[in-house]
Amino acid sequence: MPIGPFGIDPGIWAPLRLLLAVALTLFLVLNGALLMIYLERKIQAIIQDRTGPHHVGPFGLLQTFADAIKLLSKEDVRAKATDKAFFLMAPMIVFSPMVASFVVLPFAPDFVGADLNIGLLYLTTLGSMAVLGIVIAGWASNNKYSLIGGLRSAGQLISYEVPQILSLVTVVLVVGSLSMVDITRSQAGPFVNFLVLPFAFVGYFIAALAETNRTPFDLPEAESELVAGYLTEYSGMRWGTFLALTEYGEVTVVCSIMTTLWFGGWQGPGVDALPALGIVWFTLKVYVFVLAFMWVRATLPRMRIDQLMDFCWKVLIPMALVNILATAVLLLAFPGNLWPIAIVNWALVAALVFALPALQKRRLRTFRERTRLSAA
Amino acid sequence: MTPAVPLGAFIAVSAALFFIGCAGVLTRRNAVVILMCVELMLNAANLALVAFSRRYGATDERGSVFVVFVFVVAAAEVAVGLAIVLSAYRTRPVVNVDEARAMKG
Amino acid sequence: MTFDFLEMVLFAILAIAIVGAGAAVVLVGRITSAALFMAFTFLCMAGMFLLLGAETIAAFQVLIYVGAITVLILYGVMFTPQGSRDYGLFFQKQTPWAIVFVAFLAVPVMVFASSFQDGRPLARGGDLVPLATSLFGDFAYPFEVASVLLLAALVGAIVLVKRDDEEIR
Repeated sequence: MPIGPFGIDPGIWAPLRLLLAVALTLFLVLNGALLMIYLERKIQAIIQDRTGPHHVGPFGLLQTFADAIKLLSKEDVRAKATDKAFFLMAPMIVFSPMVASFVVLPFAPDFVGADLNIGLLYLTTLGSMAVLGIVIAGWASNNKYSLIGGLRSAGQLISYEVPQILSLVTVVLVVGSLSMVDITRSQAGPFVNFLVLPFAFVGYFIAALAETNRTPFDLPEAESELVAGYLTEYSGMRWGTFLALTEYGEVTVVCSIMTTLWFGGWQGPGVDALPALGIVWFTLKVYVFVLAFMWVRATLPRMRIDQLMDFCWKVLIPMALVNILATAVLLLAFPGNLWPIAIVNWALVAALVFALPALQKRRLRTFRERTRLSAA
Repeated sequence: MTPAVPLGAFIAVSAALFFIGCAGVLTRRNAVVILMCVELMLNAANLALVAFSRRYGATDERGSVFVVFVFVVAAAEVAVGLAIVLSAYRTRPVVNVDEARAMKG
Repeated sequence: MTFDFLEMVLFAILAIAIVGAGAAVVLVGRITSAALFMAFTFLCMAGMFLLLGAETIAAFQVLIYVGAITVLILYGVMFTPQGSRDYGLFFQKQTPWAIVFVAFLAVPVMVFASSFQDGRPLARGGDLVPLATSLFGDFAYPFEVASVLLLAALVGAIVLVKRDDEEIR
């Protein structure tokens, strides 16, 4: 009798694996959102020296459950001037690609919904589909704040898709595969891709912050300028689907991509002996990045829209292009030797870190000159 | 294994979409809609290319390579086409092709 | 039990959706609706590519057409106010002649198109590796030319929409 993974008969394992993957996906999306909202509020509270939610349940743990029940039981309000079909369609267009992207995430060895050989391309594809829903939401709301929020969001997402994909390409160049499982397996030892391609990671991290509409790039929903951007007219669970489920689901997806591509995915001590341990390692690594996202949110102020576009097109994309060119040339020049690529990448990280204050100084100088000229 | 759907069916769908797009380009007045119909025609051509490349002729995937080039051309065309529509709109606020007569001489 | 009929059913659904949504793009009044129908056509087209076993092309299709081109067109629609005109004015003056011309061409071409037979059995495996080998092997020079075309389009689009007046900054 053939024995499949975990010592289970393959005939039973195949459907069981599917069920487990679906269950895990729903668990990660639905409960993950609840947990992450709680975490976000608690961490922001800690950083801002408050206590955060503490009324419902021990340590306020049940606060988000109470919020979810409140959202679900709210009346489904829709303003009369909104465009009905588009207004109702937009949350679905945003939500469904996010759920679909969980299919290719490798949670553990042999524990992945579908090991597509174009896994990474599939993920970028689904990520780009969300823009459509956001633009439609902004337009259908028939409200100028919503429309500006939606258009800003579309511009931002399209711009930041470029450095995001360019960063992914360098990893694909080094690993030589688009399959998420292959990429994970290629990082068996302690030398994960992060040590070789740190600049690609930094570029992806920044672009991912923008892709998931999180501070310092949360301009589409900038409360102080645009009310709530494309979310203004939404309420109840439609708002919940948009903001809570989709945003936190996308954060999970993006953090999983980072974990898989640069930090070895499920790889960790003891996984070879007990494959199910991979889920623990994977989840732990993902939540480290989720915490980093929240830390960034509580620390950095929001950028202005022109600064955002400037940074993307004038800093991130040129450096990512240099990175791709250098990686490709060095891969051909020194086959099988990753040291030169690692050196160039660390140099690029250093350049980015040291160039930012200089750029900021120059911007301030031109700003002061302009104010002086206009005053004179 | 013989595929369940014959090649001719794919090509027929492609031709149908192509002529729908063609009719749109010839009849609609709005410049943006005409652009969309051109995209439909390009996409119909893509379907024919992929179908022939997968099911017909030589064993490699040369047909699909042209689809990649069609993607490139379509993206470039939309970018430049929309830029033209926007700049034409700025000089003279009309979007309908039959009202933009400035180039007619 | 065989699932061969499923492929046929999927094909029928996709074909009806493509033709229907394509016709809707031409006939529907509001431009935003037309753009959404176009996006839907593109999505169904990606499904067709999957039926043909070309999953890389399908992914590119969604990435470029749905994620980029539709959003760009929606942008264009939102920046140019679309006045509501009578339905009779949606079409140009030459519409009857154009319809006759297209129908005259379409009928023989459709008959010819559906007469094609499969030349070889469906290739096994995805199209990622063969596509990449062709694209970066034999077609490397056209690939570079395509990149130059994209660069030209980028520069051209920026030049076309750049405002000359400097005070708006």
